[in-house]
Parts: sequence; structure tokens; C-alpha cells
Amino acid sequence: MDPASIAEFIAVALRVSTPLILAGLGVLISTRAGVLNIGIEGMMLAGAFAGVVASAFTGSAPIGLLAAILTGAALGCLLAIMVHVAKADLILSGIAINIAAAAGTTLLLFLITGSKGVSSSLQSQVLPSIDIPVVEAVPLLGTAISGHHVLTYVALLGAPLLAVFLTRTPLGIRLRAVGEKPEAAAAAGINVKRYQFWALAASGAFGGLAGAFLSMGYVSWFAQNMTAGRGFIALAAEVMGNGSALGTMASAILLGTAETISITMQGGGIPSELVQTIPYVVPILALLLHATRRRRLLKRSAA
Amino acid sequence: MSRKALAPAIVTVAILALVVAVVMLPLALTTSDPAGVLQTFLFGPFRNLRYLGNIVEMATPTMLCGLAVAVMFRSGMFNLGVEGAFYLGGLATVAATLLLPMPWWAAAPVSLLIGSMVGSTVCILPGVMRAQFDTSELVTSLMLNFVALFVGLFILNYFLRDPTAGAMASYKIPVEAQLPRILPGTRIHLGTVLALLACIAGAIYLFRTRSGFDARLVGSNSAFAAHLGLPIRLVMMRSAAIGGLIAAAAGGIEMLGLYTRFSWQTLPGTGWVGVTVAILARDNPILIVPSALFFAYLQVGGDLVGRNFDVPIEGVGLINALVLLIATAAAIIRNPKLLQLVSGDNSATMSKNLPKAEAH
Repeated sequence: MDPASIAEFIAVALRVSTPLILAGLGVLISTRAGVLNIGIEGMMLAGAFAGVVASAFTGSAPIGLLAAILTGAALGCLLAIMVHVAKADLILSGIAINIAAAAGTTLLLFLITGSKGVSSSLQSQVLPSIDIPVVEAVPLLGTAISGHHVLTYVALLGAPLLAVFLTRTPLGIRLRAVGEKPEAAAAAGINVKRYQFWALAASGAFGGLAGAFLSMGYVSWFAQNMTAGRGFIALAAEVMGNGSALGTMASAILLGTAETISITMQGGGIPSELVQTIPYVVPILALLLHATRRRRLLKRSAA
Repeated sequence: MSRKALAPAIVTVAILALVVAVVMLPLALTTSDPAGVLQTFLFGPFRNLRYLGNIVEMATPTMLCGLAVAVMFRSGMFNLGVEGAFYLGGLATVAATLLLPMPWWAAAPVSLLIGSMVGSTVCILPGVMRAQFDTSELVTSLMLNFVALFVGLFILNYFLRDPTAGAMASYKIPVEAQLPRILPGTRIHLGTVLALLACIAGAIYLFRTRSGFDARLVGSNSAFAAHLGLPIRLVMMRSAAIGGLIAAAAGGIEMLGLYTRFSWQTLPGTGWVGVTVAILARDNPILIVPSALFFAYLQVGGDLVGRNFDVPIEGVGLINALVLLIATAAAIIRNPKLLQLVSGDNSATMSKNLPKAEAH
């Protein structure tokens, strides 16, 4: 590979990784508060849909983005209410949100456009890309990291910000206390349910952001089940990230790079069906590696 | 039975009716003939023998998938590989009928056996990885579903595809491998009998055998099970294997019972319906039968509405999701006040003694 195509590859990998980073951070917030948000996949899908519809009807991309974030957050709140008020099972409620989002978006798409497949008849807007001053002029580096979608930069900046929030602010530390030892947190006067409620809302908001990137940047339309398991890959990224925001981002970029390789390999002689398994096989292998390493560490500390 | 004992069932049925109404009423109102939509949805499936048969046909795979889910959830495993196992089981069964030379009488049983074993890997791998490396079976099984889909599409495209079929579809399944129809006027096939027998066997396994008891103990209190010295890893892997085999067999039975070619281009979603079926049945193999029939009834009603009116059948998916959401909601489904209201028993403090919601 020559330098120019490497720069191009990095640019594509960042683009492919963006939804995984955003969703991964969303999963991270939820797990740190002790309430794994497996509904992130459905929240992404609903966010992607809301972004397209709201931006098409208002003609404004920012309003579309806002709608995507609020839709994701609302589903996060719904999950929290189901778990805390209705005493439903967390994982099953998350699965239910995924099923509801898949069915609900298809249903609404049909009611709005008359089509069940894609939203191409809607005049939806896309969010802008940003050229970084000075850097954009640098050859290669400019190609690789400048001119990306605004949400790509939100994702890249969001990870360190979330890391600071979780480790350096009282609010973030209390949130982690809720996740690690809810009884102790409650004894210290922390309202566990309230923290978990807001954590799930924030988690859903990140899912909505990831969805908005998919339908208002990655492509410029909504398609049935367009998230294609990215929310689940984000779950894997969070596990691989060992509970840290920067680790989650790094894992998400790793998995995004695997997906990028699979995209560039298509049409390269290997059956495309097998190439398409790469984004799903890599997380499994990574989790295995992660688990064996963790086990070795445990053994060493025990010895 | 006294009203008191029936109260939970009545509350459940009332909530199901409410969920159906909440989804279907607004949908019906978007059309020019709301009454017609509702009437078709609710009573259409009972109109003739063929539609009744459709209910039973559709309940067959979800019954088996629900059983697979119940066996795994009961042992405390959140293994969601049922969807992929169902898909791959169907594909591998068809592949076996097409690629292996077999005497006519062996075609169906041997293919189903091979298909079940191949498809079950989607559940077994996450189970083994959980037992051996403590990786989250939830995440790995969700990933493996997609791997199963793409590997399946690869096999379909490169080894089974009939170039004369037009769309992407396999060669025709040999007639001798197809399961016999058992009720004239419907498409109900031998697979339905197998599914019913499997549910009975599942109940016996879970509630009347040593290993079933072990599985439930590991599922309800793994620390206690470990304290008793139960082989927890073995129990987990066994449950994953049983669940995977059942789900994959469901895919094979569906193919040999109702299809002439394999042509699934995406995951069919049957495994997810199975999750809902199992949860509504509280992971009880016997209750899975009526639970699967209920969802099949909704599906047939939805199909009829979709065919005759301008209403997409995805409304049924929404009902499934809401039922799943509410079925585990202890505060709703086991609300002491609600139960008291239904049973008309005001003096009782029984509500306090009710068992807590089954933990999953």
C-alpha cells in the first residue's frame, strides 16, 4: 500500500468506527451504572429513523440530530422505567426494545412513505463534514483526519470527555459507585435508581447519536434494519475496553478497522459472504483473547 | 379451580388483550375500514380450516424455539443463539438432503440429525466459551447469529444454488425428505407432533430428571449450586447443547415441513419470537404450547390484514415486543392489588407471600 491509500484507509476506518465508538460509549455509561443497555441496537435504529424523518419534515439537519438524540434518550428512559417501576427484567426489556424498534420503524416508514424498505422518497438532510484548519492542508494527514463528519469528531472527543467525567467528577464517581456496589452507594445517600435512570437516558442518547450518524452522514437515507448488529458489536467493544472510555474507543476503532478491511476486501476473489463475517468474528476472537488474558492476570495475582 | 388460583392467568390475558388493542386500534384507524381490519385480525384466523391450520403450522417452529430458549434461560444462560441456530439448522438440513446420497427412508431423519448438529453450534460455542472462559454468552451469541447468516448465505450461493430458480434459492428439496402432511385441508405436518412431544419431553427433563433439576438450580442460584459441588460448567454446556439442538432441529423441521427450496436471505426472526414465547410461558415447556399458538394466531391475523388491507404486518412485531416488555414486568403482571381485584379476595394478605418474579 502506498502512503496515499493508507491515508485513505485510515479515513474510511474512522468513518466506519464512528457509530461503534458512539454506541460503545453509550453501552459504557450504562454498564458503569450497573444497568447493561442491550437495547442500544434498537435505540440506534430508532435514532437513525427519527433523524431522517425530523430533518425531512423540518428541512433542518440540527433538528434531525436533536430528534435522534431525544428518541434514543426516550427509549433509554423507557428501559429504566420498565426495570425500576414495572420491575421487568433488564436484559429482556432491552431485547424487547430492539424488537419494537425494528418493527416500529418499519411500520412508521410504511405509514409515512408507503415503502417498507428505504426512505429515499423523503428529502432528509445530512449533517455537515468539518475541515480542520491547517491540518486539512497537510498532505496525507489531511486526507486521514480532516474533512470528517461532525459526529466523527464528536465521537473522538466524546471518549476522553467521558473518561474525565467518569473518573474525575463527583457525579461520575458516584455513577460508578452505583454500578460497583449499589448497596454501599445507597448507604452513602446516593439515589441509585435516579443515577441508573439518567445513565440509561444518556446511554440511549449516545445510541441516538450513533443512529443519526448512520442515516445522516454514513448514508443519507433510512433503510430497514440498517444498524445490522452494530449495537451488538458496540457491546463487544465495551467488554473489550475493560470499562474505560478510552479503552472502549480503542476497541471500537479496532473492530471498525476489521469491518473496513472486510469492505475493502469485497470483490477481491474471496467470497463476499465470508468476508462479511469478519466484523462479527473479530469481536468473538477479541473477547476470547481478552478472557484468557484476564484469567492469566487473575492467576498471577492469586499466586 | 378457585378464582384466586386463576387470577394471575386472568390478569395475563387481560393485559394481552390490552396490548393487542393498543397496537391494532390506531393502525386500524389509519385505514378507511377500521372495523373490517379489526374483524379480520381478530376473527379471520378462525374463519376456515386452512387458516386454523396456518396457526398450527406457524406455532410449530416458535414452539421449538421457545423450548430451546426456556431450557437455556432456566439454567441461567442468556444465550440468544436460537435465531442463528434456527437459520443454520434449516440450511444444513436442506444441504444434507441435497448433497448426501441416502436411501429414501433415511433422507428426513438423517438430514434433520445432521442439520441439528450443525445448527446447534451457534448456541454451543457461546455456551462453551462462557463455561470455559467466562465470556459473555449474550454478546458472543448475538455475534454468532450474524456469522451463521453469512456462512449460510455462502453455502447457499456456492453449493446449493439452483441457477434456474431465478432468485437466490437452493435446488428443490427431494420429495422423499419432506415431512408427511397429517391433516387433509391444511399444511400441518409431522413436525407439529414432534414439537408437542418435545415440549412434553422438555417438561419431564426440567422438572422430573436429575440433570434438569441441576440446570434449574444453577440457573436460580449458581452460588448455592457451586456450594453443593454441582458441575456448573458441565451443566451450562449441556443446556446450551440441548437448546441448540432443539432450535436447529426447528429450522430443519420448518424446511422439510413447509418449504420446497431454501431461500432465506436474512435471519427469519423465528428465534426472537421463540424468546417472547418462552417468556410469556414463564419458561415452562407445557405453557409454551398455548403461548406459541397465541403468537401464531396474531401472526396469521396480521398476515390476513396485510393481504386484504393497506396495513403492514409489522404491527404484529410491535405486539410481540410489548408482550415481551410486559410479561416480565412483575409490578404489572403480579401486581397484588390487580390480583386481589380479579380474585375478589380483599381479606387476603396472600399477595405478600407470592413468590417473587423468576429471576432471569
